[in-house]
Amino acid sequence: MTVNRRKKPVSVNPLKIGQSLGAVLALQGCYRAMPLIHGAQGCSAFPKALLTRHFREPIALQTSALQEMDVIFDANRNLEEALNLVLSKHRPDIIGIIGTELTDVAGVDYQNMLKSYKRERNMRGGLAFTVVLPDFRGSLESGFSATVESMIDEMIQQAGHRGARSVNSRQITLLPGSFLTPADVMELKEMISSFGFEVIALPDISTSLSGHLLTGFSPLTRGGVPLDSMLQSLQSGLTIAVGGSMERPARRLHNALGTPYKVFEGAMGLKATDELLHFLHQISGEPVPLRYCWQRENLLDSMLDAHFQFAGMSVLAALEPDHLYSVSGWLEELGVEQKALLTSFETPLVAGMEREVWVGDLDDAEVLGKGADLWISNSHGIAGAKRVSAAFLAAGFPVWSELGAYMSVSVGYRGAMEWSNRAGNLIMQREAGSRESSVRHR
Amino acid sequence: MDPVRHDEFDSQACGSIAPKVKACPRPKPGEAAGGCSFDGAQITLLPIMDAAHLVHGPVACAGNSWESRGTLSSGPSLSQYGFATDLTDSDIIFGGEKKLKDSIDYIAGRFAPPAIFVYSTCVTALTGEDLDSVCKEAAERLGLPVIPVNSPGFVGSKNLGNRLAGEALLQYVIGTGEPEPETVMGVNLIGEYNIAGEMWDIERLMGSAGIAVTSRITGDARYKEITWAHRAKVNMVVCSRALLGLAREMEGRYGIPFFEGSFYGAKETTYSLRQMAYLMNDREMERRVDRLTEREESRLSQELRPYRKLLKGKRAVLYTGGVKSWSVISALKELGVQVVGVGTNKSTQDDVRRIADRVGDDTEYIPEGGASRIIKTVRERKADIMIAGGRNMYVAMKEQIPFIDINQERHKAYAGYEGLLRLAKELAYSLGNPIWKLAASPAPWDKEAPPYDR
Repeated sequence: MTVNRRKKPVSVNPLKIGQSLGAVLALQGCYRAMPLIHGAQGCSAFPKALLTRHFREPIALQTSALQEMDVIFDANRNLEEALNLVLSKHRPDIIGIIGTELTDVAGVDYQNMLKSYKRERNMRGGLAFTVVLPDFRGSLESGFSATVESMIDEMIQQAGHRGARSVNSRQITLLPGSFLTPADVMELKEMISSFGFEVIALPDISTSLSGHLLTGFSPLTRGGVPLDSMLQSLQSGLTIAVGGSMERPARRLHNALGTPYKVFEGAMGLKATDELLHFLHQISGEPVPLRYCWQRENLLDSMLDAHFQFAGMSVLAALEPDHLYSVSGWLEELGVEQKALLTSFETPLVAGMEREVWVGDLDDAEVLGKGADLWISNSHGIAGAKRVSAAFLAAGFPVWSELGAYMSVSVGYRGAMEWSNRAGNLIMQREAGSRESSVRHR
Repeated sequence: MDPVRHDEFDSQACGSIAPKVKACPRPKPGEAAGGCSFDGAQITLLPIMDAAHLVHGPVACAGNSWESRGTLSSGPSLSQYGFATDLTDSDIIFGGEKKLKDSIDYIAGRFAPPAIFVYSTCVTALTGEDLDSVCKEAAERLGLPVIPVNSPGFVGSKNLGNRLAGEALLQYVIGTGEPEPETVMGVNLIGEYNIAGEMWDIERLMGSAGIAVTSRITGDARYKEITWAHRAKVNMVVCSRALLGLAREMEGRYGIPFFEGSFYGAKETTYSLRQMAYLMNDREMERRVDRLTEREESRLSQELRPYRKLLKGKRAVLYTGGVKSWSVISALKELGVQVVGVGTNKSTQDDVRRIADRVGDDTEYIPEGGASRIIKTVRERKADIMIAGGRNMYVAMKEQIPFIDINQERHKAYAGYEGLLRLAKELAYSLGNPIWKLAASPAPWDKEAPPYDR
């Protein structure tokens, strides 16, 4: 349908999250990686603090620590210094240089700088790439997918494959979107491998941000997909992308290597999961594992149980574009009224949605969602949800108000069931609360 | 390149083992940690709870930082709103001043705040936007203080940002208002941001001694109380040397004496209260303070007894910025906890001198190096607990080191007598938690054991 915007000169309670943070997140899913933000110290300190708060894990991240005079005279000198230090001290396998609005406005050419740096240092074996991500455009989602795209480009270039390659038809490259939690990525990997496929997730936050007990501190990422697996993924027989934003990286693999791809725009709810499992069933020729048949029934049964709760209820959702699309599909199946759908920036996916979508901030959410029974957004929405007296369900990024949010599952039948129960419980508690207060007032 | 700014503090010699701290060291690319000046300016000004805080720049500067601090409000919450001009490509090309003006008008019209603080960011500073004149024009047109805060991230450290925010207060706020007739004049608390409600504990204490708070700069503050800060009788600089310049300037301009103090630990708290009464030049008040501190200290030592037993001889590594690095040492010492390693990366020469006064000879100084260096110190010095900021919390968790968060994101108040008791409880809880044993024990199948006999 249409994407609308409310007329307002200023952003009040932003929903949008800087693109560079998405890049840092993507790199956390690669083993022994170091994201390096080319900007002022704050450009990395804020994302680091925010990601740490959300995942409750140490976050690997460094900065070129630009100061005023560096920007004016030669910002790349700082970058070179940072690269030298990071390479000599920590020997990362992967370095992602993330350009910010500061380097963008100052017109710093770090792409060419990296090229000549790599030539001079004879940097073989590692993967180093740049990605331009000013905050003027996009949001977390676009920063994440652009980084995966750059990473794939660099992999293709390094492997030197053009055309001829050996294809492993039992191996699938999974490109999980930025809205998926570590537990979601794990669930998807399990689903695909249960049909007899090898899965390489790119990136793979399910093994880096899901909580591990490895001791021995390293400033690099711990866990995530290792570089050799990443390069091996170029032999995959198929790419599965989850989230509309991951179509572009999938296309890069297709264009360069001819790998066919399939995009699942969402993976939440009954229909989306049906589609995914049916597809896997068809391409593998394997039966759908019994546990998913069970889970499907569990989900339908819990939806039957919950439908009394959801009767006549209305919901507001303010999420990143792909996430919003997914959640909206699930809400459709619950039969609740979707009072307002808000997102951080416009993408083809949300523009093509059948429902009205607003690009805006959490203040717009308060206005558009007035009267909603349930509010779904990141933890910044707590205050707004309180003001419009809606029950609050934390989702997206950042979530600091709940323990284990990063381990919650939203994909598959299991995820849909978990969310339906969570949402239903919140609405039930809210109703119980209002009943209690009405009794007290009498 | 050398730092753009030179520090205002003299570099005097301190203890032989204490490291020399360079005034404003340039952050090391590839090994830098910590926030920027913009962050620092916000830390100082955001606790003015009823004001609007508008960030002029691309969205992430505001988007990644709003609602991230533990400063609490007893009423208004407008300062917790995230306002950003959210610049786009075309704003950069054609200039964002019009958008800024419209944003100020919008906020003034819709929220009617007592004042609007407008923060510049790297991008708007780089494109040379005239923040001052837009703010001046808006202030005149709207009849509302619109205060430019020129502290873009790339000018330097967080500390410098604190200082620049203090300069903005001096230039635009302090001295622009007069107190209500019934207001009792007393002490300005400078650099106390009401993290986790610490300010409230301090205020309660001061209240029991009959010492009035004139202006809170800026924990849980209201805009107007800062406008009359120049009428106070005493300034106390709490835990932020960056705002020492503010106190000095107020002494010169308005003749208000100041002192530096802290509320971490019973001794420091008592000293601070006494100092207030002394500088107020009020005999009766001094007597009241003596009675209060005596009573509080003896009650505290009663309550601390079981914890002191538990904590005696425990070893801690402390890694935090600025004043806290020395003031928390005093608090820990009172509990019998020995500080075996201390960070000095964000401390001034004066801070380091004070650290040296408070620790023993075998304490290791950690000048820089981030998480790996801290961990190393914990291991080598056989520390039992690590006390640092939230950024290092999960680093400690991975190493299974008990941890206490001491920085601005935390949720526990450690100031005053009550705060010391809370700190003791927190330390005891942290050290005695069963998780440390559980996490260290392997799964049964990972242990060497005889085969199961059926």
